[in-house]
Amino acid sequence: MVKQMKKLALIMIVLIGFVATSAIAQDNLSPERKQAIDSLALEKVRDLSKYISLIGSKDTPWSEANRVIDRAEELFMQGSEIGVSSLTRTEINYYTTRKYFERLMRLNYDKVEIDWYNIEYVSDLQRQPDGTYVGVITIFQKFSAYDKEGRLVYQDTTKKDITVYVKRKETQIGGRLIGFWDVLLGDIRVKETTI
Amino acid sequence: MKNIPKNFSKFLMVFLVAAIALGGASSCNSKKKLAKEQAAAAEAKKIEQANNDLNAIINGTSGWTVDEQAKRVATIKSYNFDDPEIQKLIGEAEKAIEFGRAEEERKAEEERLRMEEEARIRAEQSKYAGIDNQLAAIATASSVDAANNEINSALQQFASPDAPVLIIISQENGVNDYDRPTSAQNFLNYLKDVKGYNFKVVSVQRDSAGKITELELLKKW
Repeated sequence: MVKQMKKLALIMIVLIGFVATSAIAQDNLSPERKQAIDSLALEKVRDLSKYISLIGSKDTPWSEANRVIDRAEELFMQGSEIGVSSLTRTEINYYTTRKYFERLMRLNYDKVEIDWYNIEYVSDLQRQPDGTYVGVITIFQKFSAYDKEGRLVYQDTTKKDITVYVKRKETQIGGRLIGFWDVLLGDIRVKETTI
Repeated sequence: MKNIPKNFSKFLMVFLVAAIALGGASSCNSKKKLAKEQAAAAEAKKIEQANNDLNAIINGTSGWTVDEQAKRVATIKSYNFDDPEIQKLIGEAEKAIEFGRAEEERKAEEERLRMEEEARIRAEQSKYAGIDNQLAAIATASSVDAANNEINSALQQFASPDAPVLIIISQENGVNDYDRPTSAQNFLNYLKDVKGYNFKVVSVQRDSAGKITELELLKKW
C-alpha cells in the first residue's frame, strides 16, 4: 500500500513537473515566436480592413457581402463594439459588430470607399496573468462617400484603437494535437475624427 | 760495403710497403669514422623530421589529408626507430588519424544527408507547386466570378469543403505554431477576399481517392 502511494506520488510529481515546464515554455516565448504572434495580430487587423472595404463597397454582391460579414465577425470577441463618428455630430455611437457591418453594408451612398492605413501597435502585446496577450493597434480610416454622379459627398479620417487578444489554444485535428494562437479583436474605439 | 746498397734498397722497399700499408689503414679508419658520423647525423635528422611530422599530425597542423598522414606514419614506422618518444608519438598520431578518419566519415554522412534533404525539399516544392499555383490563382483572379470559378475548381481536389487547413506561423526546434485552423472553403474564400497568397504548401494529406483531407501551409511574413 505504502509502495503504491509512493509510486502515485512520484507520478504526480512528474506530471506536475511536465505541466509546469510546458507553462514556463509558453511564458518564455523566443523573440522569433513573439514576432510571429505580433505579426499575426497585425495581419488580422489588415484582414478586417479588407473585409470592411468589401462590405462597404457597393460593387460587392449582396451574397458576398453577407459571407464576408460572417468572416469579419469571426475576428471579434463576442460582445465587442465598434465606434462610429461623424464630422456632423460630436457624439460617438457604438454598435455591436454584426450591427456595425450591416449598417456599413446599407449605407445610403452610391459609392463608398474605406481605406485603412498606418496600421501599427500603439501598445505592444503584453502577457496577462491568465496567459492571454493583450495589445492595442491603432489605425487610420479614410472614409469617402459619393453620389450617383460620382461627386464626393462626405469624407473624413478617423483614428481608431483596436484592442487585440491573443491566446494559446489547442485542438485535435486528424488525431493530432494542434497548438495554435487564437487572435481575437475587441472593441474598436474612436480616438479622433478629422476632415 | 757492396752489400749495403742492396740491403738498403731491400729495407727501403719493406719500409715503403709498410708505410703504404699503415697509411692506407689509417685513412680507411677515418673514412669509416666519417661515414659513421654522417650516418648518425642523418639518423638524427630523420628522427627530428619524424618527430616534427608526428607532432603536426597530432596537432592537426600538417595540412595533409588523412590518407597522406597515414602514409607518412607508415613510413616512419618502417624506419623502426628505437626511440621511445617517437614510438609514443606514433601511437598518438595513429589515434589522431583514426579520429580524423571518423570525422571525415561523419562529415561525409552529414553532407550526404544534407544533399538528400535538399533533394527532398526540391521534390516537395515541385510536388506542391501545382496546388500553390492554384491557390495563388484565386488571389489574383480578375473578378469575383473568376475567383469563384477558381475556388470551385480547387474545391474539387478536396475530400470536403470542410477539410482542415492548418497555417504555420512560426517554426522553432521542430515545434510549429499555428494560426486558428480553418476549412478549405473558408481559406479559399479568404484568398479571394484579401487578394493575396503569402503562403507555401508544406504538406498534404490525401484519402484513398487522392482527395485532400488536410492541407498544411507555411505563412510567409
